[in-house]
Amino acid sequence: MSVNFQSIRFGAVEIDQRDVIEFPFGLIGLGGLQYTLLDRNPGSGFLWLHAVDNAALALPVISPQQFFPSFSLEIAPEDRERTGIEGVEPSELYVTVRATPDPADITANLRAPLVIREGHGYQVLNVDEDAPLQAPLFALPMQSQIAS
Amino acid sequence: MLILTRRPGERVVIGDEILVTVMGVSGHTVRLGIAAPEGIPIYREEIWLAVMEENRAAAEANADALPATPPTDTPKQP
Repeated sequence: MSVNFQSIRFGAVEIDQRDVIEFPFGLIGLGGLQYTLLDRNPGSGFLWLHAVDNAALALPVISPQQFFPSFSLEIAPEDRERTGIEGVEPSELYVTVRATPDPADITANLRAPLVIREGHGYQVLNVDEDAPLQAPLFALPMQSQIAS
Repeated sequence: MLILTRRPGERVVIGDEILVTVMGVSGHTVRLGIAAPEGIPIYREEIWLAVMEENRAAAEANADALPATPPTDTPKQP
């Protein structure tokens, strides 16, 4: 069975019912109870976590391991208790991306990753001390030159 | 805002299901115990605000705001 919804970014979108992800508590400060993952630029590494119930609500996300090989997740104890999630597979993990006009300024939020498992999604707090709210995705070209 | 004075060990009940206990007071620090129905998210305010700000900033992105280049083409410096 398919689900149709409108997107202010992408127009009419049709997805399979099985690709609807229930977020029982929405995203922190944003809400939204049903989302789906859209791959609008295959191969780019970026996906869109798009609300099914809100045409304007969508966030770019990435797989953290793809950009940050040393990424590690330590779920806050209260979130472990709340969600019942303990160990997480890399394929179940996403982090939100703050897009900027200059790609050098794009950052990812490693502090509050999304765990998506079996049709359910949760935003959890990562208490790993090396997980910043704004981790730069790309090195600045100037820095590369200096480094080399 | 409702303001209540409580001593260590005393509680505040919110609705029928949320129980806040003053566990102890030490100098300028208060320890709270919070019992809420399973599933209700509870955050320290500063982290809640910070994550909300990141989520909202992320949700402002336009459809063409992201680079089409695979991330592996622009490796980060160690």
